[in-house]
Amino acid sequence: MSTNLIWWSSVALETVVLFRGLRAELLKKYLLFYAYVGCVFLIEVLRFCSYTFTPNFYPAFYWHSELITIVASYAVIFEIFGQALRHNPGVARLAQKLLLVVFVIALSYAASDLLHGGFTSVPRATADLGRYLRYVEGALLLVMLWLFGRYRISFGRNLLGLTVGYSLLVGLDVMNLALLSFPGNEFSIGLRKSLPITYLITLSIWCASLWSCQPDPVQSAESAIDRDYEHLAAKTRANFAHLPARVGRKLRP
Amino acid sequence: MTGLIPILLLGALILILGGRLLAQWSRQSHAQVVTIEDYSQACAALDSVFVETAAIKRIFANEDMEFISQAGTGDVQRFFLKERKRLAIQWVRMTQKQVAHLMDLHLKLASYTYEPSPRSEGRLTVNHVCFILASNGVSVFLWLFGPFKAVRIVAYTVRAAEYFCSEFRLRLEKIDPVKLGSARQPRSL
Repeated sequence: MSTNLIWWSSVALETVVLFRGLRAELLKKYLLFYAYVGCVFLIEVLRFCSYTFTPNFYPAFYWHSELITIVASYAVIFEIFGQALRHNPGVARLAQKLLLVVFVIALSYAASDLLHGGFTSVPRATADLGRYLRYVEGALLLVMLWLFGRYRISFGRNLLGLTVGYSLLVGLDVMNLALLSFPGNEFSIGLRKSLPITYLITLSIWCASLWSCQPDPVQSAESAIDRDYEHLAAKTRANFAHLPARVGRKLRP
Repeated sequence: MTGLIPILLLGALILILGGRLLAQWSRQSHAQVVTIEDYSQACAALDSVFVETAAIKRIFANEDMEFISQAGTGDVQRFFLKERKRLAIQWVRMTQKQVAHLMDLHLKLASYTYEPSPRSEGRLTVNHVCFILASNGVSVFLWLFGPFKAVRIVAYTVRAAEYFCSEFRLRLEKIDPVKLGSARQPRSL
């Protein structure tokens, strides 16, 4: 009963997120994110149909569709990256290099672990592949969150809600999948049960933060302030050029 | 089981950094983003580093201690040492605050530059961490032994602060003026 309630609640919330995205004209702005939510929504409906009409096929279908969901969730990573750093091309370039390095390392780690695990069955291999893809995604998200914090990147309310909700989902899913891969761990069972509720919380965060279009920090054309700035920059540059030498000369014991 | 720990750590760090992002946003929504005034303050901050570090030389001056040792009574010497210790610790705290502010400004300004260099950013981070460790070490040393025995460590701290000044100057030279100006504009669609 409670499982069905969570299931229907998540489908309802996904519908609301998609509907509000359409009404608030956020769909065009966050196209990749809404494509992901749409994909999850479709998979939820298909899973429900499979569970009702072909229950024997459901476990295999679940793991295959889970893999598709995880692959689709990479779209959210691209969305967050593109939206957050669109006014910071320098940081974006830096992040690209860093993310590429992390992606290669995480993928190598996951691939070697996957190959060492051996191939038992198709559903098992699919589940393992999904798990490792989630780990790689987690590593990428971690680097992005660190960069956003380090360079004090400004977020609008929409993007913040999207990112925080997604971090909650991925963070807990990574922990859950790791524990799930170690059989007999009782904590894993508890976490697994709480995961659908986490997903509901995530959807609620998305629903609240993406209810309407909120203003973002934007770049404006050059103004009088910029000219003032250039004056000041020239002045301070000249000032700073001599400062270290002066400091050093005065303070060295 | 050992393979489990890094993955659990990864998940936990994602949650922590997600929370930090939220906290950062709530602070930013009240505080102003980098403006031309902040830029002027950065200039003043660098000047104050220069002024304060000049004043420090007096706090740690051995000549003062020698003079008090020759002319003062025991009570005067104790009072003098206590005062100098208080001043020295206060200075270390002020320097830490100043460098943290400089680092904060540097990072905000770095996000406006066309091409922040990963190498110099990494070097700066390492130096910042070293500075934090060294200055905390100085605080402990000052608290334990008083200011006059701490001169060598202080010399290192001054050199680290000097390095920050030069790095900050380089950063200012690479700022994209258009982007910096736009940060002052109110948020709009």
